[in-house]
Amino acid sequence: MEAGLKPKGRERLTLWLMLTPTLIGLTFGVLGSILATLVLSFTKWDLLTPPQWTGLSNYVALFTDQKFSRALLNTFKFSALYVPSVIVVSLLVAILLNRKIRGLGAFRTIYFLPAVTSAVAAALVWNMIFAKDTGILNAIIGVFGGSRLCWICSDHILTSVLIVNVWGAIGEGMIIFLAGLTAIPREYYEAAAIDGANEVRKFFRITLPLITPSIFFMTIIATINAFQAYDYIYMLTRRGQGDSSFPVIVYSIYRNAWNFFNYGGASAQAIELAILVIALMGLYFWLERRYVFYE
Amino acid sequence: MKKMLFPVLLIAALLLSGCGGQTPPEAVPSEGGQPAAEAVELKFMLWGAPEELAVWNAIVDEFQAQNPGIKVNVEVSDWTAYWEKLKTMLAAGTPPDLFAMDAPYYLDYQTRGVLKNLQPYVDANPDMLQGVYPQTLEAYKTAGGYFGLPRDFQTIVLFYNKDMFDKAGVAYPTADWTYDDLRQASKDLTMDTNGDGVADQYGFTADLWDMELAWSSAIWAHGGDILSADHTQTLIGEPAARQAWQVFHDMMFQDKSMPDVNTAASYGLDLFQAGIAAMTPIGHWAVPGYNAANFQWDVAPMPKGPAGSATSVNSAGFVVAEASEHPEEAFEFIKFVLSQSGQTRLTELGFAIPVLKSVAESPVFLEQQGTTINQQAFLDSLAFAHMKPVFKGYDEWSAAVGDGMIPIWTGEAELNATLDEIVKAADEVLSKNK
Repeated sequence: MEAGLKPKGRERLTLWLMLTPTLIGLTFGVLGSILATLVLSFTKWDLLTPPQWTGLSNYVALFTDQKFSRALLNTFKFSALYVPSVIVVSLLVAILLNRKIRGLGAFRTIYFLPAVTSAVAAALVWNMIFAKDTGILNAIIGVFGGSRLCWICSDHILTSVLIVNVWGAIGEGMIIFLAGLTAIPREYYEAAAIDGANEVRKFFRITLPLITPSIFFMTIIATINAFQAYDYIYMLTRRGQGDSSFPVIVYSIYRNAWNFFNYGGASAQAIELAILVIALMGLYFWLERRYVFYE
Repeated sequence: MKKMLFPVLLIAALLLSGCGGQTPPEAVPSEGGQPAAEAVELKFMLWGAPEELAVWNAIVDEFQAQNPGIKVNVEVSDWTAYWEKLKTMLAAGTPPDLFAMDAPYYLDYQTRGVLKNLQPYVDANPDMLQGVYPQTLEAYKTAGGYFGLPRDFQTIVLFYNKDMFDKAGVAYPTADWTYDDLRQASKDLTMDTNGDGVADQYGFTADLWDMELAWSSAIWAHGGDILSADHTQTLIGEPAARQAWQVFHDMMFQDKSMPDVNTAASYGLDLFQAGIAAMTPIGHWAVPGYNAANFQWDVAPMPKGPAGSATSVNSAGFVVAEASEHPEEAFEFIKFVLSQSGQTRLTELGFAIPVLKSVAESPVFLEQQGTTINQQAFLDSLAFAHMKPVFKGYDEWSAAVGDGMIPIWTGEAELNATLDEIVKAADEVLSKNK
């Protein structure tokens, strides 16, 4: 950081005062909760009676818990497809919306809308789209002579869940990539044009290397979101009061805590989820040194 | 400095709003300007549909007119939100004074010491339980006495679409129907109306996740049971129970007269209400919704099995929080809801059956507005109804069974081997929750 950006004297006081509400929230709300979760993960706790210290037993139980393994596997499958999909789709949208076209603002708004729409409301609409008999998607397939698919059945559930989650995330991703794209100096493209480079070449030789920081940032955000994905998945796949047909870790945490009086076990699952995400982040930062270019 | 003023004010406002939330109730003056020292405020929380709030408020108005010293604040939430909110409030030590309870969950709370023992109050009011169906009280009895009391109950009966039966020329279900009759009728009612080789109308549909709607009745009717009396063993894998499972399995995969769980879910609507399935077992809570359907329907008792007739009964009730400061007043309200006028009001809601026999057998229940169905069937079913099991860890146990069954009902897993696994998992839950 440049020296000129460091706040001094009065400014510094103002800065700290401005940060105080967030810091209070972080300390008590977030850090406090993390610590509490960590402590609770070593206990047996039903919320209503005092917790009992049980050491590592919650963690040991996770290794034999088939439901947890299933949730873990689903989460991994989902994440592995979700992260690249979000990056590719939002980058494509960002590139299209980076051109000078009519109604640019309107298009940017349209793509950003899912980010500000309530997940529950959106999922309800998606449920109608996916409905086997009355759904729009199957109606379209029908026009082309295909047979109706059961979108929320086990065969296609991963695809359906992926479509909705990617759709919901394009807005944010697009904003991040747009910021990266607009930061690329136009002279590079002009120089390349003079040298006779075509669009494809420009993309791979100029755009892509220069937005690697944005891609890296998006990879991190998308990974964290993928591992914590819950709302759309829950709304699309839950069956009455029963399990979800595509249970993921966060749903498993929720059920253990709120339905099964098993707050200790739920805390252990949450900690394990956190460890997995942190480990992945470590891998990403190691990769960053090799593949991410900063100007 | 002007620049400083805003952040300082902001922080001050945040701190003040954080601390100032709790106004002691004593400080609130009554409407006449007099300090209402003796007015007790009760917080009553329950799950339900928004329209239930109006009925509860009417009950509360009547109660308050008779008990000027007590004010009841009713709060209605949907099912999921209700239990989340309740647990959080109990854990924080600030529960509502009085709250609704579903019998199967009762022991999960009672055994954790958050419910007030109501036995002394019941003893002091020996008349109040007179005329209450004994089956509905059973769930709330513990070794230490009553920690809760029922307010209404649900027996499961078979709902059927008369229009579909007429169209297919099938005779309506009767009290003498067996599971074989059900199966045959279901076959006759299943049709492919648009000729694409896939059924568009099913004879029968049932929720097979929770035991309440279909499978507990079927197991009892086949002479089996769900749990051992001491709640340490899951019996749904015993031979008699397997016969019951086989009925649904055959209807689903052999006759194809019952949609599998994926097909059912893909409709996104209650299949009976949508006019896609001709029969479904459900409770009285469905009546107000089904009244809006654009077809004729009625109800009949659940079919007979080799061991006779059987259905399930479950009751919703209320409990008083151990932490409540006003248990006497809360009990007064319970007493009022269980009285003739309270029960009458509650019945007018149309969702449930009153626990007071005199109200249930009166026109208030039997001749409800907007419906001409055989209400008597709900009461007659009590004669062979089994109580929905109540034990600690119910939610986790029923999830182990219900979730474990899903692969069977999607057609991905084989019935018998999966049942063995489920019984093992369910027994583990039981031993964990002892």
